[in-house]
Amino acid sequence: MEPILTVSHLSKRFGSPTHGFVAVDDVSFTLREGEILGLLGPNGAGKTTTITMLLGLILPTAGDISYFGKPFGSHRQASLARINFASSYAQVQSKVTVRQNLLIYAGLYAVRDTSRRIAELLRLLEVEDTADQLFWKLSSGQKTRVILAKALINRPRLILLDEPTSSLDPDIAAKVIDIIKTLQKKEGVAILYTSHNMREVEEVCDRVMIMSHGKIVAEDTPLELTKKIGNARVTVTFDGPSEKVFSYLNAKQYRHRFPRGQVVAVDLPGKAIPKLLFGLANEGVWLTDIDIEKPGLEEVFLSITKGSYER
Amino acid sequence: MNWHRVGAMVLKNQYAFRRDVFRIFDIFWWPAFQLFIWGLFSTYLASASANRVNLVTVLLGGIIIWTFFDRASKDISLALIDELWNKNFINLFSSPLTVSEYLMGVVLISLLKLFISAAFMFLIAGAFYSVHITTFGWYFVPAAVGLTLMGWTMSLIVQACIMRWGHTVEVFIWAIATLVQPFSCVFYPLRALPEWAQTLARALPTTYLFENMRSNMMGQGIILSQLGLSFGLNILYFLVALWFFYRTFAYAKAQGLIIKNY
Repeated sequence: MEPILTVSHLSKRFGSPTHGFVAVDDVSFTLREGEILGLLGPNGAGKTTTITMLLGLILPTAGDISYFGKPFGSHRQASLARINFASSYAQVQSKVTVRQNLLIYAGLYAVRDTSRRIAELLRLLEVEDTADQLFWKLSSGQKTRVILAKALINRPRLILLDEPTSSLDPDIAAKVIDIIKTLQKKEGVAILYTSHNMREVEEVCDRVMIMSHGKIVAEDTPLELTKKIGNARVTVTFDGPSEKVFSYLNAKQYRHRFPRGQVVAVDLPGKAIPKLLFGLANEGVWLTDIDIEKPGLEEVFLSITKGSYER
Repeated sequence: MNWHRVGAMVLKNQYAFRRDVFRIFDIFWWPAFQLFIWGLFSTYLASASANRVNLVTVLLGGIIIWTFFDRASKDISLALIDELWNKNFINLFSSPLTVSEYLMGVVLISLLKLFISAAFMFLIAGAFYSVHITTFGWYFVPAAVGLTLMGWTMSLIVQACIMRWGHTVEVFIWAIATLVQPFSCVFYPLRALPEWAQTLARALPTTYLFENMRSNMMGQGIILSQLGLSFGLNILYFLVALWFFYRTFAYAKAQGLIIKNY
């Protein structure tokens, strides 16, 4: 299947060749129909520059962008007509009602059957009651949903979402995440998603790319990325003397520490957990409680920013 | 009253002032503008009284016709700044909208507002001072078109500057009319200006439009060569401004200023 978006060797340098800086450095990736791709990275990593280049708001210094198999540079309008964008920092006209705002964007995207589409979106995003309210009077959660409605007005095949939940309370953010998942299911939309919230990305994205200093430093499914970072932490509470546990762990060369008398915390790869637990049981250790903490994207992210991550 | 806190406020405003060259505009330009305009008008008043010129008609004519420049120069720039204030610019330009389509839309709405504004002014001028559109005769059409075109030229330049330097230069949306007005001879003839200012005034298409307006109102006819020169200059400046606007937009895209400023 032809990718919806193909990015090849995309670079952006700001300023002069001698005194400028490289914001995006030789970035390549593809995005397929119905896929949600997360773009993560610390502040200044180049995420927003990448997204704005994908929207044609910043011109790349080098590299190519293609939508639906056609070069973006020579098919700007046709490409933009089939994609859309939403961000917490880009708003719509504040002194205009929600419906009027959506009518404006319906015009810009040459949407047919406008009234029905607007009603459909207001219902999907659960903001029907705000239709005739002025945009500035809405709550942050309502504004985000209206901006999402704007991003869906043209039935896009791809939506670029730049930190859509950044200014929202956790409960509203969770609702927005549900809506995004529904959109993928119901409308089969592909999404390029940037966020600082690792849990959110882990929950929503099929694949994740992590950017640092303008480069893509890691790319995989959230699960595979967390596997690559390695160790889980197993905290075992047991009955009886700790010497037996201590000697077993030393013999098997497990990294461990005893935070309390009959509690031991062991750092080990996820797949070695059953072996550890059976091993302790076979040694006659009576396990009374087991707590397993697997690494998440947050740990992957932190290890990348600390430079300890290996591809 | 705590003088430390008062001192901190003085310091804060002083720092802000020193970093914003456009605030200096407020200090020097406005007093000079007032003095210049009304000083020259008073001089003209004295000579015009002696020549029995209908000053009310000439003055109101100037104000009415000037409205076309004033509105045209503000409306297009205000439309852009409105997008910035609303943080709507990125959403607009991430749609298939082109710069030309954006400009055309803004120009059309600006024309509509201009017609409403002019109609309202004529209503008031007619009711209170018996100055009607017929007072200008056919000359009203080229005068209004010329001033509107010059207003758009100025507006394009200001918009380009806003794209390049951001909110810092917003003041020019309102100031541009007062920069051009003293040299456009709206309320007094070209000869009332000092020599150096006359040189500058001759480079403005607006000057010839107001000179002809007065001449027309006093029954002395219109100098067509001057009108031609005015339109020639107007079209030239408009094309240069359009080129400057597109070039700045491309520069803003290359340098990421669209994202930075908006």
